[in-house]
Amino acid sequence: MRRGDLGPLVAALRGPVETFVREAKVRVALLVNGSGQILAQHGLTSSYEVANVASLAAAAHASARALAGLTGAERWTHLHHAGRTRQLFLAPFRTPAEELILVAIFDEDSSLGLVGVFFEQFARTVAALPEFSLRGPEVTAESFEQELEAGLRHVLPPEWLDEG
Amino acid sequence: MSDSFERTLEGLTRVAGVRAALVVDADAGVPVAAEVAADVAAPALAALSASAFRRSRRAAESASFGAVETLQLEAESGHVIVAAAADVLVVVVAEPDAQLGRIRLEARRTADGLR
Repeated sequence: MRRGDLGPLVAALRGPVETFVREAKVRVALLVNGSGQILAQHGLTSSYEVANVASLAAAAHASARALAGLTGAERWTHLHHAGRTRQLFLAPFRTPAEELILVAIFDEDSSLGLVGVFFEQFARTVAALPEFSLRGPEVTAESFEQELEAGLRHVLPPEWLDEG
Repeated sequence: MSDSFERTLEGLTRVAGVRAALVVDADAGVPVAAEVAADVAAPALAALSASAFRRSRRAAESASFGAVETLQLEAESGHVIVAAAADVLVVVVAEPDAQLGRIRLEARRTADGLR
């Protein structure tokens, strides 16, 4: 569970996320952990969108990991979906504390190659943050819902949370 | 497919002073084939060259200059030359004292061969 230390962690991620968004020229960036807890976001405009994308990212990560296991691929590096105008990039990376997942949405101002290159830099920066140096306790079924809620409260403006 | 791209790069990599030659997917900015020196990061070179080329093409369109065929970047320690083909770009990295005229010619020839 990370509810207690989420504030400093969210603050520490702000700089790396802003740099990634600027350099990779993505429209949306969302950072979640394996249980779907939201640690940082840029570009989404409502709590509903953020929570949905975070949950779907965690689910896609779990499915891709299972698929990689079934096909003998030890670990998947990223998922890429190219739509007509927008593209989705979803990639997991390890930190000493836990595995995180970056979701990025980009359009013709960027490219898969550009997002991939700056994702590598972003992952190295985040993994080196002191806030991610210690392993947290395992997520339980009881803590799952509370973690999602805690993530939303730290990352989103309060007025968004009053919407629903 | 990638083998045939790699064969097309052979002419370029034989030119003195060439440190890297790549065929890059123009939209995705990822390498399709690459012959690079050990200290050249092919994915970053491909992504950033494709991005620079896209922006140059937009600038040229805004100025009504028409299509951009070749982009040449001169830096302190070398040159980057990008030549456009149909859906791909040919990217060459050369030493500062390399024969640029010949490299440009070979890059253009390689790109035309990929059209």
